[in-house]
Parts: sequence; C-alpha cells; structure tokens
Amino acid sequence: MRDFSYLRANSVEEALRAAAMPATMLLAGGTTLLDLAKCGVAAPELVVDITHLKGLDAIRVDVDGAFIGALAKMSHVAADTAIQAQYPAVSEALSQAASAQLRNMATIGGNLLQRTRCAYFRDPSTFPACNKRNPGSGCSALEGVNRGHAILGTSVACIATYPGDLAVALVALDAVVHLGERKVAVDDFFLLPGTTPHKEHAMQSGEMITAITIPASVAARHSTYLKVRDRQSYEFAAASAAVGIEFEPDGETIRDIRIGLGGAATKPWRARAVEDALRGKALEPDTVKSASRLAVEGAIAHGGNHYKIELAPRVVERAILKTGAMA
Amino acid sequence: MTNETILHLDVNGQTQTLTVEPRVTLLDALRDHLELTGTKKGCDQGQCGACTVHVDGERVLSCLTLAAQVEGRKITTIEGLSDAGGDLHPVQEAFLEHDAFQCGYCTPGQIMSAVACIREGHAGSDDEIREYMSGNLCRCGAYPHIVEAVREAAKVMS
Amino acid sequence: MTIIDTKMKHGDASDGILGGRLSRIDGPAKITGTADYAMEHFPEGMAHAVIIDSTIASGRILAIDSAAAEAYPGVLLVLTPDNALPIKTATDWTGAPPPAVPYEPLARDITFSGQHIAAVIAGTFEQATAAAALVKVTYEETTPISSFDDPRSGEGYLIDMMTKEWGDAEAALATAPVRIEQEYRTPREYNVPIEPHGLIAHWEGDKLTLWEPSQWIDGMSRTYAEWFGIPFENVRMLSPYIGGGFGSKALPTRYGAVAAIAAKMLDRPVKLAITRPQTFTAFGGRPATRQTIALGATREGKLLSIRHRGANETSMDDVAVEPLGSVISIMYATPNFSSRQNIVPVNTVKPGALRAPGENPSAFGIECAIDELAYEVGIDPLDIRLLNYAEEDPSANKPWSTRRLREAYAAGAEAFGWAKRNPRVRSMREGKQLIGYGVAAGTYPVRRTPGEAMVRILSNGTIEVASSGIDMGQGTYTILAQTAAEAIGVPVETVVVKLGDSSLPRAPVAGGSQLANLMTGAVHKAAHAARDELIGLAINDPNSPFRDLQANTLTIEAGQILSPRDAGSSVSIAEVMRRTGRERIEALRNTLPEEHQNDKDHFRNFTTISTMKSPTEGDYSLHSWCVHFVEVRVDVDFGTVRVSRMVSALDSGRLYNPKLAESQWKGGIIMGIGQALLEEGIVDPRHGRVMNNNLGDYLIPTNADIPDLQVISVGIPDTHASVLGGKAVGELAIVGVAPAIANAVYHATGVRVRELPVTLEKLI
Repeated sequence: MRDFSYLRANSVEEALRAAAMPATMLLAGGTTLLDLAKCGVAAPELVVDITHLKGLDAIRVDVDGAFIGALAKMSHVAADTAIQAQYPAVSEALSQAASAQLRNMATIGGNLLQRTRCAYFRDPSTFPACNKRNPGSGCSALEGVNRGHAILGTSVACIATYPGDLAVALVALDAVVHLGERKVAVDDFFLLPGTTPHKEHAMQSGEMITAITIPASVAARHSTYLKVRDRQSYEFAAASAAVGIEFEPDGETIRDIRIGLGGAATKPWRARAVEDALRGKALEPDTVKSASRLAVEGAIAHGGNHYKIELAPRVVERAILKTGAMA
Repeated sequence: MTNETILHLDVNGQTQTLTVEPRVTLLDALRDHLELTGTKKGCDQGQCGACTVHVDGERVLSCLTLAAQVEGRKITTIEGLSDAGGDLHPVQEAFLEHDAFQCGYCTPGQIMSAVACIREGHAGSDDEIREYMSGNLCRCGAYPHIVEAVREAAKVMS
Repeated sequence: MTIIDTKMKHGDASDGILGGRLSRIDGPAKITGTADYAMEHFPEGMAHAVIIDSTIASGRILAIDSAAAEAYPGVLLVLTPDNALPIKTATDWTGAPPPAVPYEPLARDITFSGQHIAAVIAGTFEQATAAAALVKVTYEETTPISSFDDPRSGEGYLIDMMTKEWGDAEAALATAPVRIEQEYRTPREYNVPIEPHGLIAHWEGDKLTLWEPSQWIDGMSRTYAEWFGIPFENVRMLSPYIGGGFGSKALPTRYGAVAAIAAKMLDRPVKLAITRPQTFTAFGGRPATRQTIALGATREGKLLSIRHRGANETSMDDVAVEPLGSVISIMYATPNFSSRQNIVPVNTVKPGALRAPGENPSAFGIECAIDELAYEVGIDPLDIRLLNYAEEDPSANKPWSTRRLREAYAAGAEAFGWAKRNPRVRSMREGKQLIGYGVAAGTYPVRRTPGEAMVRILSNGTIEVASSGIDMGQGTYTILAQTAAEAIGVPVETVVVKLGDSSLPRAPVAGGSQLANLMTGAVHKAAHAARDELIGLAINDPNSPFRDLQANTLTIEAGQILSPRDAGSSVSIAEVMRRTGRERIEALRNTLPEEHQNDKDHFRNFTTISTMKSPTEGDYSLHSWCVHFVEVRVDVDFGTVRVSRMVSALDSGRLYNPKLAESQWKGGIIMGIGQALLEEGIVDPRHGRVMNNNLGDYLIPTNADIPDLQVISVGIPDTHASVLGGKAVGELAIVGVAPAIANAVYHATGVRVRELPVTLEKLI
C-alpha cells in the first residue's frame, strides 16, 4: 500500500468536499478499498473515513418502501425483520454474500461499489494491460483465464463480471440510489463497459451514495434470491437470480415479475426478456423453462465461461419456480 | 518524511497509545506495534478469517480495517477473551475438549468468530453453525469438531 | 524455550496413558493466543523484508531499477542478484554432495512466474511493501511452456527407478476378455497452510538464530549452516509451533536464504513474510499429473493385467517426481503389471510435497479405474475390490505386516449402509438432488528413520521430554507426554515436553507420516533408561525402604515407587531425588543401530533422508490402509456436488491417542473433499502464471462444505511397523477420498469425471 493521509470526516459536507479532490477515496467498510490498495489497484493519496458520520445508517421500512442509509452494515440490513418480511430477496442476497465478518464491516453504499474479481484487473504488476484500470491498454481476460467472467453486457474492451449479490436483488426490485439530492435508478447507476470500462457507475466526482430506497411492491414481498457457486459458502456467484412475483387474483397468472441475474454479467442484470415472456402467463414449468432461456439472449462466451450460458437460465428458472411456489 | 499519527486504541479494556502511519491496519497494529500476536495473519486480504477480532462487540476482519478507523471503538482480541481471573471462556473450553483445532493458527480467529456467532443467535442448528462459521478457513480440517464445540459452548452460554 | 503447561483437566486418569484420549497439551496456548509462532518475535532493531517476484515465466532480467525504492522513506537495502552477499550451495536433502558453485537465491534467468528476483528491506512492513512496488524490472521475455498440455512440452523423460513390471502386461491385456483404458488427471494443488511462510533471521557474530516454521529443524539448520559456511551448531532454529505445513515447510527455501543474507548484510534482524499470493510460487505444491490406466480382466471382474503410464510436471531446471505407481502397484492382485512414469519440464516452480505425494493421485487413478471395471462387468464396486484383494504385497512379494483392509471394508460398509445402494446409476433421487454412493480405498506406507530423545527426571518429580522434532498439529507434544508418563509411571500432568528447537536432541523430518512412531520409540527408550536409573537410586540409597531389593521387583505408579513385597512402603520420585541429593536424572537415547552410533552417521541420519527405510525393507511390507464410503448430492440442474455423508474405516495400527488421530484423519478427509470438488491451480497458458493465487480464488473447503464425518479405527498394534505398534496416520486418510467422491458422482449422475476437480461445468 502506498502511503496516504487520513481524514476523519465529521459531516457529509466535509466528506463531499474532500471527495471532490483528486486522488481521494472514501473509506466506509474498507473491504474493497483496503483490499484493492493492497493489490496495488487503488492508490489514494487521501483516505476520507466516513465511518464515524452519524445518521447515515438508518433502516426504515414503511408502506411506500424501504429506506436504507448508505452506512448501514450488510449484516444489520440482512437481519432487519421488516426487510426480511417485505424484501426477502434483499435479505437473502445479503446473507449469502461474503462472510459474517465481512458483512459486519461492509456498508450498503460500499457494497454497491465493490469492484470486479477479474484476476487480471487485480494484479497490475503482472498485467499492466487492463482497460478498466488503464483505459486503452487492452484486456488480458478475453483470451485468458475467464471461467468467472461475464457472458452478458460485455464488450471487446472488458468482460469483467460485476461480483455483488445485493445489487442483483436491487435491480430486480427497481431500487433507487440516492447521491445526496440526486436519485438514480439502480439499473441506470451501473454502466455497461462499452468502450469505457473504467466508468462503472453514474456517480460524479464529489458525489457519494447517501442511501438507497426500494419501492414497496407485492413482487418485492414475494421475492427470493438464489445463488449457485462451487463452494457452499464464502464465494462469489457462478450465477445467481433475484426473482419477485405478483400473481393475479386467480393465483396462477403472473401479473408482475422482476428478475435480476448475477454472476453472469458486467453489471447487475435485469432479465427483462424473461419478464416480458412470462407476464400474463400462468406459472407452468415448461413456460418458465423456455422463458428462462431468454435470460442469455445475446450472451457471448469466451471459452472458460461457456458453461454460464447453460447455467444462468437454469438458475433463473429454479428461482422463478421457487418464488412462485412461495407466493 | 513519514506521515505518522498518534492513535489511542481501546484494546481489551485498556487504552493503548501508538504512533503509526495511517495506512497501518488494525491487524498490523495489534501484532507488530502492540505485540498482541494472538490475532493471526493468514492472507492479509480478507479471505481467511484468521485475523477476526471484535469491534464494538461485532466480529470483523482486522486485516481490512485501518487502525485509525477504530479509534473510539472497543476492540477485543483473543488475549482479552478470558476473564480477568484467567479462566477460559466457555468457547475456549469447548475447543479444547472437542479438539476443534490442530495447528492452532486459525484458532484465535475461529474462537472470536464462534463467540460472536453464538451471541448473534446463529448457533441454532449444526447447519446454521456451519454457515456462520464459514468465514474462518481451517486447513487442518477441524470443521466437524468446531461445529461440536460451538454447539456445546452455546448450550453452556445460554 | 517453550514450556508447555500441562496443568489442565483432561478427564479421567486413564487419559494419560498411551492410547488414551488426552486433550492436546499444547491446546491451552493455542486457544488463548499465547502460542508463539515463528513470526511473532521482536528482536531489537528488526527490519522487514518484502520479496519481489518475476512477472514473466520465461526469459531473463535485463535491468532492475531500484532508485525509486532506495529513495523511499525507511528503506535500508534493495537486494538484487548483483549486490547480494555470495553464499555456497548446500547439500541437498538426500545427502548428495553439493556442486562447488555459489547459490543464488535471487534469479537472473527466469524459469517461472513468481520467481524471486529482488527484495526490499525497510524499517517497517508498510515501507518495505510500498517500496517494493517501486522497483522497476525490465525483461527479455521468451514464450513459456506453461503446462504439460502445451504440445511443446513433449512427453518429458522416463524416470527409470519408477518402473515396476511383472508378468507380461501387454500380452495379457491383448487377450483379456474385458479391457478398459482411460486417462485420469489431477491439477496443480497447493498446501495453503493458514500460517503463511516466512522467517526472522538474526545474526550475532557468526551465530544465526532463525525463527522459522519448520517440519525439519535439523535438515533446514544444516542447509543454513552450509550456505554461510558456519558450523551446524551455530545455527539455532526455533519452531515450537507451526501453523500447518502439509509437506510445504520441510525444506529450506530461497526466501529463507534471502532473509539470512539481508540480516547479515544489514547486521540487524530481518523478518521476511511471504504474502499469501507468494505461497503459490515461492515453493511448489503437488504437480499436475496424468495417468493412462488400462485394466484387463475376466468377465467376472478378476484382474488379469494392469498397464499404467503416468506423468507429472516438473520445473525446467530440477527433478520432482510424484510417484504415480505407488498405490496401483500394491492395491490389487494381478498376474501382469507394468507401470512407467515420465516427468515433463515446464515453466513452473519446482513442485513440492503435498499430503501423500504419489499415493494421492495414484489412488485417484486406480480407484476410479477399478470402479469403472465394476460397472463394466456389472458387479458391486465393493465386491470387485474384495475379488481382487491382494493377500500379499504383489510388487515386493512380501507378506503384509498387517492389512486390515478387509475389516475396513466390512466395518465401513456396515456403518454407511452400503447394502442400501441401488446398483443402477442415476437411480437415487430426492427432489432436484441426484444421490450417489461411492467407495474407494487408500493406503500409505510406513516409513522409518531412527529417532532421538532426552528424558529428564527433575528433583521435584517433573519429567522433561526434549526433542527438536516438531508438532504442527499432529499431536507430538501430547503423545510424547503420554509415552513418557506411561513408561516411567507418572501422571501425565507431571510431564513437560519441549519441541521444535535445534538446541534439543535431534529428530528427522516430520514427513512421510513417520514422526509419531519414531519419536514415541525414542522417548520410550529414553524414558525406560531414566526409570532404570531412578530405580537404581532407590535401591542403592542407604535410607531407602527399598534398599537391597531387586530392581525388577519395583514398580512406579502415579509418581510413587512401590514394592509389591511390602504393600505399605511407597516413596515419591521427588523424595528419592531429595534423599539421594540428585538434581536430575538424564537419559539421552537414540534408536540408531549399534554400527551407526558415531558422529558422522548420527549427523547424516537427522540432517538427510538417506537413512529412511522403505516400507518393504525387511521381511514384511508395511502399510496403513483405509476405505471411504461417500454419499453425494448433485443438483440435477446446476451440477453442484455436495458431500452429504461419509464413513471412513482406517487401519493405522495402534493409535497413541485416538482423539488426536481421529482429528488428523478427518483433516485428511476434508482436504480430500477439497481436492475432489474445489482445488485447482489455474494457469494462464500465455503467461505461465497461477491466476488464482489467493484464498478467494483457490478454493479450499469451508465449514459449510463438510458434513459430519464418521471415522472407524480397525487397526491392531503392528510391532513390525514400529516399536509401539503404530502405523502411518497423517497422510493416510486423504488417500482415496477424491476417487470415492468421483465414483459417487458417477453413480449419482452417470457422468464419469476423470479430471479433478469435479466442478459443476463438467456435470451440466
């Protein structure tokens, strides 16, 4: 880690002022920042500690929705009984992420901003080429070891997977990221790599995440998160799905369905084609199976990750059937 | 030349003063500066759990925590787990009895994690213990005995 | 010096004797955080070193620009091949005399990615780490051969001494009614002990103190002494606790030389900690292996021939052999057999030893192949093993000393409920879970090297046991206390055990699962010698109630010397010592043969492996045996495999402490589950780089991956194998786990995975 100065922010304003300065990074849980600083990916000159700010860790759930302060810890949100009742996919995504210790550290805001686990991205001394780190330098993963890389939302510049779980549930449930006064839908907050993979989200310099809100819905209340991985615990997803369903009064016809796909795309992925194919249909296994295939429409594999084209729809399918059975 | 600051850390109920650079992690502050080496460095990148300590009563990884960040918080390490009289904590007793370790290197982290696991209410079943103890890797393969130890300690503590 | 406080409650008194379930006596130190591992020492003035590794796998260094690093605050030295203090090449572990060339631990010519090329030493760890990132290296890069799958690696070369042949395997295969042939592969696998490697080196004049985790204090000390041209006695290595080794902490390393060189050049203690990613390339794990196995059999499944061709990767400049013929040549009776092995140089660090080197992949091959044969001829996988049971060692043509494998099959099958298995594949299912049962056997040889131990009886009645042998979790402290307590006749609480210090009596390598047997043997011998002397004192003391009695009529129980003829009289050991004015009784004994009781042979015995006896030296073939019964659940859609149930029956002979032996067995089984389902060093073929060089990407099992494990001991004391009847424990139980799981996956799914690990993409 290079040397840096440390500033403990006493107010959001102070934090934002500092964050607008070059080579400055905000420190919340530290689980991404310190990890990347040790890898040599992050090299801040000033670290602004926002963990002592008051009032940014609220968790409030009412009839309109959920409000979660940016500094709320993952573990606290996961354990919140109102979140568990009204937004089970959110709670489940959180409690299957990382480990108990990391969930006690990582904040909701920081969790959204976690960066890819691409091994080439994380090893700058061996692999100078990385368009995400060093725009225009190339991508080592395209022709390299890419079992964990994305099949959706990729570009010729970058195939790095967005690794998080929470954001997959949030994108399914139409959550909104609060950047102070400015509000951005989660789906718009995360950017596709395109030709600018170093730009991962819609946050401007001098902004910070202050909260997220999730609108209340029947689909959110009847939601689940399914995560598939090699190891039983403490691992990122090979593929995951967040699904929320609202049925018509007949209890069979799908009125509303929301599907987020994780572990397979360059950003938290909303599987709208699958939703469109199922809205208004009865929840029949065959219908679900064929609709789920649409989750990987346009997917591109790069060798090692080819299995995800088969795996991801199966995870979506199972998550839909599981959610349907609960609703 | 260097950019050192003076920190006051509350470690195991005692105020410790140390002069370190801001980039010093809580793990290195404990081990190298305070010579509290019970907290272990297994990966230094948040992937093994050996460095688990409690901050304000919650288990966290000290390798991904800056020492500067936890000024004003209560830090508890394995050295502070036994009571003042030196009696072992019920989790420590259970680890010994159930042979829940071999080489012993992940053990302080396992024990700190186990104490928190029980306190959080995540020791309700063997499967729950397994899941909530999965942030602490053990290469000697003591897992089944760790589950036994946590289960039995939870009974004693309830 | 480490004093182990044994004043702990241990259950009933019988725990203290050999064979009792005593809790580990080093436990209190480990659970309170007071056990001092190597990197936890703070000699005055200690500096911190960080190693810089090559980022290319093949080529040479053109220049190292260290100016920015040297200018960085706190930096004391940037060590490169050009300015490093020259040292000599040392004798290797086999005892082969070294070539008269300098030893250069920092490389100029690059043969693998991750090779040490420079080091930065600074006042703090943070400074050294940051400065290391400023060192700029320019290379002339050539295209690496990244693995033995690269066609340019060729077939490698044959290791003649690995060839084993009898009968005519080729001819018998050609005429066999049933013939199967397949290739089985295992990837690079890594030890990953949770304590990363490293050391603190401290010179005082021409004396070198090393705090370094070590599975072999005396062997490593010899190397350091020879590197620096100082007497062996001038090296003090301390390693009372080791945070796991699994084969990776037995031999000296290049970074060890670097730390000692830096400490000498700076004249201050240097701590060098290997980072977790560096633990994948600073030393080698198990090499990648491939084996082609052809089995010829009758239609009933009786083996007629085995032909085996194996290969493993080695480094470009050295020979590493993973003996792939070790299990396949002894597990089953066959009249015709042929096994040959090649090694294939590639751009990798030299592979090392990882739990059961050889036996582990060898068993993966044959135990999968025999399973395939069982399905081919339509008989139960357990029955085919009994049908081809080797009644004697088919390779050495010697009787087994003990082989309780038949008993293991019976006990394991019963406990597991093997009889409930539906023989058809893909026939057992619960919801989305396909259920499969699998079985596989394993074996590990009994290796033997003479040992040495000091046993002291102190004036207060305390018994001290001392050896440079080590305890990395196997339970050495505990079983040696039990051995001495039983031999002398004292409560185990009065025994203090000191280990892991080169100033103590010598010990050979803690490897090959030999240490427990040879150390209990040495302690037993020394303790009896001390006891004899004590009894002699009691008899010769003019005031003793035992005066003039025959030595062999006295007994010692619970620290009291008793005479059976006079039930009323008993004298404590402390009392005898007091009356006779003795400070201590001291017995230093080794188990070297009479003709090797000289300084040269003594030194050679403990600092090389040249005197280690093979399992077939003598009249018998000595091995431990095991069988694993596994139930897996495979998600029908996702291909994820979870081990849901497992029963293992094992024959390790006599267990000195079943509680600790069971822990070691379970540890091996768990490592085997990781090997079967998760572990694989993934190499970028363009760069020869291990890409998943960390614990987030090189996956080892978590607690949630492991079900309850049942282990059953079927062993009986085997005094051909060791003085006190034990056989190999530590490396046994991993052998056979991976094939048992792969066989269960086949039973569950109908998919035969012959290349580890069994990951989900191979099943969907």
